[in-house]
Amino acid sequence: MTFHPGRIILSLLAACPIAVCAASHDLYLAASINASSRVMGARGEALDGIYARGPDNTYGHVGHHLPLLITLAFDPRDSTRVYGAGLSGVMRSADGGVTWRLVTGWQETEPKALALDAVNPDTVYAGLPDGFIVSDDCGETWERREAGLPERGKYTQTLQVDRTRAGRVFAGCETGIYLTEDGARSWGRVFETVDTVNDIQQSPHDPAHWIAVSQSAGALESRDSGLTWARLPQVPSEKALYSVAFDPKQRGRTAIAGWTLGIITSEDDGRTWTERNIGLPPLHRVWRTAVDPDDGRLYAAVYDNALYASSDFGRTWKAIGMEASVIRNFIFVPRAR
Amino acid sequence: MTNRILLFLAAILPLAAAAQPASTSPMPEPPADMRPDTLRRAYLARMHEVLRWYSDSIKPDDPATFGTGAIVAKLALREDAGVVSARVVEIMSGQQSGDMFWMFPWTAVSYLGRDQLTPEAKAAIRSAWRTYFPQRGDTENHWVMYYASLFLMAELHPEDAADSWFNGKSSAENRAEAKEFLLHWMDLGTTIGQGEFNPTHYIGEYAIPMLYLATWAQDPEMRQRGHMKLDWLMADLAANTLDGVLRGPNARTDDTSVVQRWLALSSYFSWQMFGNTPPPPGYGGWGIFFAVVADNYVLPEVIHRIAADRDEPFLQRDLKRTRRRWRYSDELMPLVYKTNYLTRDYAVGSTQGGMITDPIQAHVWDVTWSVPDPRGVHNTIYSLHPLSSGKVMQMYFTELPDHMIEALASQGKPSYGVPDTILGSSPYEQVFQDLDAVIALYNIPEGADFPRVNGFFSKDLAEVTIDDSGWIFARGGEAFLAYRPLAPYEWQPRLGYRQLSSKSGYKWDRVNLGEKGDKLLVSPHLKNGTIVQAASADEFADFAAFQSAIRALPLEFSLEPVPSVKFTTLRGKSVAFTYGETPAVDGVAVDYNKWKLFEGPHLNAERGSRNLTITHGRLERVLDFNTLTITDRVLPE
Repeated sequence: MTFHPGRIILSLLAACPIAVCAASHDLYLAASINASSRVMGARGEALDGIYARGPDNTYGHVGHHLPLLITLAFDPRDSTRVYGAGLSGVMRSADGGVTWRLVTGWQETEPKALALDAVNPDTVYAGLPDGFIVSDDCGETWERREAGLPERGKYTQTLQVDRTRAGRVFAGCETGIYLTEDGARSWGRVFETVDTVNDIQQSPHDPAHWIAVSQSAGALESRDSGLTWARLPQVPSEKALYSVAFDPKQRGRTAIAGWTLGIITSEDDGRTWTERNIGLPPLHRVWRTAVDPDDGRLYAAVYDNALYASSDFGRTWKAIGMEASVIRNFIFVPRAR
Repeated sequence: MTNRILLFLAAILPLAAAAQPASTSPMPEPPADMRPDTLRRAYLARMHEVLRWYSDSIKPDDPATFGTGAIVAKLALREDAGVVSARVVEIMSGQQSGDMFWMFPWTAVSYLGRDQLTPEAKAAIRSAWRTYFPQRGDTENHWVMYYASLFLMAELHPEDAADSWFNGKSSAENRAEAKEFLLHWMDLGTTIGQGEFNPTHYIGEYAIPMLYLATWAQDPEMRQRGHMKLDWLMADLAANTLDGVLRGPNARTDDTSVVQRWLALSSYFSWQMFGNTPPPPGYGGWGIFFAVVADNYVLPEVIHRIAADRDEPFLQRDLKRTRRRWRYSDELMPLVYKTNYLTRDYAVGSTQGGMITDPIQAHVWDVTWSVPDPRGVHNTIYSLHPLSSGKVMQMYFTELPDHMIEALASQGKPSYGVPDTILGSSPYEQVFQDLDAVIALYNIPEGADFPRVNGFFSKDLAEVTIDDSGWIFARGGEAFLAYRPLAPYEWQPRLGYRQLSSKSGYKWDRVNLGEKGDKLLVSPHLKNGTIVQAASADEFADFAAFQSAIRALPLEFSLEPVPSVKFTTLRGKSVAFTYGETPAVDGVAVDYNKWKLFEGPHLNAERGSRNLTITHGRLERVLDFNTLTITDRVLPE
């Protein structure tokens, strides 16, 4: 089943269940199906790329088959304008992801992270395996802005813009967390690691509160807008952590995901953490977690298995579709009012 | 990559193929008559064999036999254009997949079909380049296929607007970007060396796009560059083959080709170019895509002669480079120092080891020998440390750390992460070669996943003799071999892999062939080493004389604190090699800074020169990428 975002919205208006109509966000997934056994250039019938949540809470594919789509960023002024970070570079769509233009060239490849500046959405940031690029004109042109990043060690897995200040961006790199306050014109390292920082998130309740997760340094927390960071001692660091999510609905609730960890949650603002894997598949290899901003549902994307959801913040889980998927990102997009 | 070859074979091979004369018939006789017109006739006959086989393999009632391989064969033979057009429309009506592996076959169909396909078929192909979004991939060969195809398709439709292409870029934009990358790639290869060097299979992924550029590019610069780079690739192949079989280290190979050296796409190219070995089954899967325009390439006589002549032993040293290292490395593309020594009877090849040229499929060193017929023969001996490391994988892949190793088996690479693997490289192995002697030292850290060294001992070795001196003697064809493990060991059967039926990825079973199979010399010691010395049988009165000569060679070694060897080779060179230190020959340390891009009797190029001189006897061809000129000379006597 192939969805068109415009049709989704129309059908929502026409006949969707009340519970879904109450939602104020659309949900998109950057996902692959049956990806674990697939090699580059393989033949097959799979449709990878964008999956959009439909009115019946099923997910339909949008646009091109895009293997290894990592994430999407929607323009807050016009949600049909979408940017994608994929295997071939940064892409931009003017029709909600149905058709695309690759806006980077051969010198930029495999962006792993992508975001628009929260204050000035004409500015687009992208993290690459070999550094960082910025566009100030909606992706038309790009330049490398890496002053302050190391010559080697600037592999960038994740980035997060500070929603409160223009030009303030955190990059999760191979050698630590880097911060720019001037739109990537200069960078400084605010926390050093020996392995890659995999995810950084800003609390929706307190813009000074940030959590990052990493390959070998565990989970890191900052309470001073990211200027200093400290380990969250109760979160295990023996294995890589992949993803962190704040609950936008309920202050103090946070979830962290990992390959062997599964899901752990805190409901007391990070003081204590509890494993929440009952109901997940036995190996509970969770690539990505997210919390629905509309109803507080906790999601766990279990590698090569399915999408799971929990209405009680991880105490019980239920598979809700996307069988045999690898979900690389959840993207919640506020609906236009 | 085996899995990719298999995927491709499955896609293009007719299910019930017609007979393959060259693949299954007796060994070809290397051409005795080296006159250019004679060689050319034989070359074209081989090309036609491929085309005919593909075309004749189509079954009218079985669409699966009528894939892109058969389509391009029919077009090249200018047969049944109407039927071919209908089949193109039929295929294009379905979902497309394959990314860059989709791009170059359909580029070939587009060009070959310019004056044959119906308007409907042409329109169907053109439409697919808008609606299907092939990915650029993540390796150098992917990019070369992607951009060469994109360049040619943009030239074929030069005025088309951005919205008519999958990537939203106009023909002019695509053409310019593709050319810029291809120039960059050629510049790297002609200054600091090729990545994915001497691959057993990937040679096709470079040679085919270069032939397409040489054949179809309207831009005269790209046409010339394609031609010159194809010469460059074929010269590199010629200088590294013995009996047409690629020898020595490979940036990338696979579990099969690393021991059955012949069974590789490179053998298709040797067969097509030099006629001195059988092609692999199905012409390696991709041979058809070269064959369809092979008549547009004339193999230079000098290259043919390099491939054919093994009358005198020769040493060739080359500079190569690794894949791009995205992280966990101080360098993006460290240099690889490659040595290959070839004789009539055997070949000895190596890189310096201690590094990863490719995270999964690198092959660092071996001694291989000539055999009358290479089909089914495992004519190689070597050792390695079986490395398994998610972090090493992360150096090269932009992936999270945990899933990659587990996924490899289902992606067609069953031996990674398996302790008895015979494929791969390790940061804990360092290698030095002087002519036909190789020393490999191992300093494996405590806690390594696999604390052992695996030595490969082929089922095809004869007279394997474990000597009280510590040497193991064996005979491979007309080569005498001496293998000296530096730490205690035990023998194990080498288990093979049998592919099982699976609807989701590859699944494998291990197979023990018992006495008929290969053996592993397993040495479970962290401080370790291997010395191999090879010689021709005709250098000695008999095998016993060879053994006596080896026993008499001065050898001192120690394993603590790190492995260290002082060995006087059969050629009288005193080699001192300590793990972590620069090796020395006759008291002189090897200066890797002086290593040239190519240095040997046949291929010579200075580092950074963009200029390769190809020589055999008095024949010389110079490929100058600075001036984009090819200069042929017959040197004065």
